[in-house]
Amino acid sequence: MQTLEQLKAELKALGAEYAKIKDVPPAERAEFGRKINLKKQEILDKIKAAEEAALEQDVTPIDITAPTAPNQPLPVFLPSENGSKHPLMTELDRVVEIYQMMGFDVVEPRQLDDEFHMFDSLNFSKGHPARDGYDTFRTEEGYIPPAHTSTMQHRVLKAYKKNLEQGKNIAVVVPGRVFRNEDVDATHEHTFYQCEGVYVSKDCTLGNMLGILREFFEKYYEQKLDISTQPGYFPFTEPSLEFKIEKPKTLGGKKGEFIEMLGCGMIHPNVLKMAGIDPTVYHGFAWGGGIDRLVMLRYGLKDVRYFESGKLNFLKEF
Amino acid sequence: MKISLNWLKKYVKIDVDNAALEKLIDSRLVEIEEIIDESKKYDNIFVVKVVECEAIPETHLHLCQIDTGAKELTQVVCGAPNVHAGMLAAWVAPGAIVPASVHEDAPFVIGKRKMLNKYDSCGMLAGADELDFTTDHSTIVEIDPEIAKPGDKLADIFELNDVILDIENKSLTHRPDCFGVLGFAREVAGVLGEKFVSEPAIEDADFKKLGVNVADSAICPRYSAVVLKKHGELKKKYLTLQDTMLAKAGMRPVDPIVDATNYLMLLTGQPLHAFDYDKFLAVGGTTEPKVGVRLAKKGEKLTLLDDTEAALVDTDIVITSNDVPVALAGAMGGKSTMIDENTKNVIIESATFSLFNLRKTQMAHGIFSEAITRFTKGQPAYQTLAVALKCAEMLKEGFEISEVIDSGYKKEENVVKITTDEINNLLGTNYILAEIVSTLENVEFKVEVSGNNLTVTAPAWRTDIHIKEDIIEEIGRLNGYDNIAPVLPLHATAEKNKLVSLKSQIRNFFSLAGANELLTYTFVHGDLLQKVGQDIHNSYRLVNSISPDLQYLRQQIVPSLLVKSYENLKAKHSSFALFEMNQVFLRSDGVDEDNVPYANNNLAMVVVDNTENTKYYLAKKYLEELAKKLGIKLTFKAYKPAKEGYETYYESKRSAGVYVDDTLIGVIGEIKFSALSKLKLPRGVAAFEISLDQLVKFATLKKVAGEISEFPTVSRDITITTSDSYETVFKKLEDKLIKRDLVYSIEPTSIYQADEKAIPSLSFHLEFADRTKTLEAAEIQAIMDELEKIA
Repeated sequence: MQTLEQLKAELKALGAEYAKIKDVPPAERAEFGRKINLKKQEILDKIKAAEEAALEQDVTPIDITAPTAPNQPLPVFLPSENGSKHPLMTELDRVVEIYQMMGFDVVEPRQLDDEFHMFDSLNFSKGHPARDGYDTFRTEEGYIPPAHTSTMQHRVLKAYKKNLEQGKNIAVVVPGRVFRNEDVDATHEHTFYQCEGVYVSKDCTLGNMLGILREFFEKYYEQKLDISTQPGYFPFTEPSLEFKIEKPKTLGGKKGEFIEMLGCGMIHPNVLKMAGIDPTVYHGFAWGGGIDRLVMLRYGLKDVRYFESGKLNFLKEF
Repeated sequence: MKISLNWLKKYVKIDVDNAALEKLIDSRLVEIEEIIDESKKYDNIFVVKVVECEAIPETHLHLCQIDTGAKELTQVVCGAPNVHAGMLAAWVAPGAIVPASVHEDAPFVIGKRKMLNKYDSCGMLAGADELDFTTDHSTIVEIDPEIAKPGDKLADIFELNDVILDIENKSLTHRPDCFGVLGFAREVAGVLGEKFVSEPAIEDADFKKLGVNVADSAICPRYSAVVLKKHGELKKKYLTLQDTMLAKAGMRPVDPIVDATNYLMLLTGQPLHAFDYDKFLAVGGTTEPKVGVRLAKKGEKLTLLDDTEAALVDTDIVITSNDVPVALAGAMGGKSTMIDENTKNVIIESATFSLFNLRKTQMAHGIFSEAITRFTKGQPAYQTLAVALKCAEMLKEGFEISEVIDSGYKKEENVVKITTDEINNLLGTNYILAEIVSTLENVEFKVEVSGNNLTVTAPAWRTDIHIKEDIIEEIGRLNGYDNIAPVLPLHATAEKNKLVSLKSQIRNFFSLAGANELLTYTFVHGDLLQKVGQDIHNSYRLVNSISPDLQYLRQQIVPSLLVKSYENLKAKHSSFALFEMNQVFLRSDGVDEDNVPYANNNLAMVVVDNTENTKYYLAKKYLEELAKKLGIKLTFKAYKPAKEGYETYYESKRSAGVYVDDTLIGVIGEIKFSALSKLKLPRGVAAFEISLDQLVKFATLKKVAGEISEFPTVSRDITITTSDSYETVFKKLEDKLIKRDLVYSIEPTSIYQADEKAIPSLSFHLEFADRTKTLEAAEIQAIMDELEKIA
């Protein structure tokens, strides 16, 4: 390897070389200049690398097992009042805690999944236009960062099938990060959080689903709430509904003002079948809803983009 | 999709007020995105008669005296070329808002004006564009004297006092029948508990039949068309109710043929397309239309109505004339057979196509129209011919049917057997048989009853009905899910998820220790990977990322936190510890048992502070204290990277592998100067990233409480001067105390080194006690002497 001095000398020499351009026939000058510049850049890169290497050479090793460096005080934590939990995570923990109290196991989703779990296992027929509604990202290999936590339904059903065989129910929630190829603005993020719920038993009803969801939101907002629904369409539930709650008074809600919280429905027999569960014996319901909006409502936040901004000015508020 | 309530009311009796109706539709049929109240939009706009009309010399204007129904005539200046005495026109009275500007920030209000400095002009005679019906600004509208007289309110004549429902299309993806006013009205009847009766689809037509060559019924379940020959003129002079209906649905009236096809599409959900018959023959070089439907061939090209040349792909369906493509089926007609003002004879096509192919066509060619929106829901085949015949009927003043084309179709009946118990058991309801039957019959299902068993036959347009749950949905929905009582089920207790609990514990601990939890994007810029020396080919790459900033899946969390450290330093924060728990992926990890990329759950922290202290030790303190809380003993050793890309940005002389026993669970260290300078960060930033999947295996709820002796504890300080590592010294001290079976604690107090070359002195504070007796002074001295000697 050339030393820094050698490289600097070379750079200087190149300067002298450049001066010769006036002797070069005009037609060849452009090419001549281009070659010199290329060479110059090459030397500059080498100088930068050499300088960095020199600096890294200068680094003194430390005792990696010690509590501190010689002649330095023992490290102390930053002041406790500086610390903060991410509001989305605080709320997700609360959501999970409430569902746990209600008897739901918790399974975490994965952030890279495949077409099978995103669509096929959820009764989306191949090439169905409903697949377009999810604005999914895709990797070169065709993997999909999930656009909803429902990608976990098939896995949950398969993993918990043994519960049914033991005469128990399946009751699982899946909180996690999902992704959609959307333009970002104050109310839209390409990265956000959802919580999925899956419930299967021999005798559960749509009324049970409404009961569980109302209970959850009443616990979450710590008050009695009116609920309302709307027909929806998801290939993986039949019937499918949108679930709304009356906007809580504590959040400035007015009588009769409903807000959409999640999509839900009775699990489509094909989804159960695909997971090896007999839909003539068992049925179930499932739901999935966004967490970000829940948190924004709770804290009166106006801009969803703050969540992944990493700005301490924002985070320290929590 | 926009639906006019006035139009809807022509087909269903609505006894509830608008607010109640909207609520019922919203809760039992479909999400209404927006309710557009047009009840005031046409206030103060009247039908008037132009009584006198004089050209104003050297201008294009006319001075008109109009009869507004008042005793005296009103003077208004009008610039339209078609203004003439005797006509009925629409007059925007002074003070009225011009309808086309109603939704603008500053609606346009016409007043009394003086034109050309001398002619008083009161209000204005409106063009169809100003009335928000078309974009045509060349003429003013003319109104049929048969239907109106001067002084009539325009809104009354054309049913403009209306409410428009803007429907969220997505929630009707499975209901092609609801994409027509008739189908929507049927559902509204069902929701209101009224019986809807459809007009039968009339298909028997005694006309000459022409063949059609459908290559594959899978791509085109049914192709119908009527050939119309011109025998008169379709006069289009007056503004019609149909024009206003089209406008309210968001379509613009164009010409009589296109308007008829659009009107029928809005009414029935069945899109139609009109070909110029003579051009169609010319393209195919035939004397009789040779209509074909087939997949396009790769490399085929077709110039569309909008003059774009579409390079067809082999999933596109084309309509052909003697095998020459003339239309991109379901999407757009071709230029070569386009109807124009010279068109004599037409072919009106009414067909259904594979929604899967049309979806691909939509994506491939970027065509988004009212027609393809309907086709991609999968329009049923039962009514194609009937709608084509209806179109012919609408155009009969100018055209007569000469031939009919119909491929026929495979009729399928969707029959579902179900019991009242099955319905009630899934919904959690107590509907009686009669309620269930009338609910279904109201929307034209056929129901046969035997005891509690129902045999339900879906109407032809309900191609989505196949299984019991589909029937259960109809019962629950049409009667209102909101009438179902919410009931909590009983079930077993839950298990804790160890990883979720661990993360919760970590965020609690770190936040109390002054650190800040961040969430950063899973997707990063390729530049960031390169700046920290990671191989971009080891990252999964998105093929449809929003921007280059979000193109690669990150391999580790620390680089994202370094970027956020820079941003926070710039925002004048000088000391902070940022941490994040999230998933990362490396291509080199391969796939898991589900055949999907292996997911790593990691915990990362980056420490920045404004002291001169070595930051490595602050990062280490965070990690070690956390481990202590989790009952885990960590060791810090020189390491070989566990996997590629893990060590690239740590300074090798100031970083360590983090081990639990012999398992490497992560890396801690100061960030290399080269990486820091690329990220514009100051020197001395430290970080760690460890595997939560590993950590959770070692974390235990069992806390080993420090033992306490009943006998007095001795406190002593000791300084050892040695070149050994801290850990070696610590171990040696510990070994000696263990050998003597003492209860002990060892806390570091300081490390002193006179200069760089000097041997460091490590000072500790010791506390120890015997388990069985009080230690004598001599014994204590012996222990201390022994400890001093370990150097």
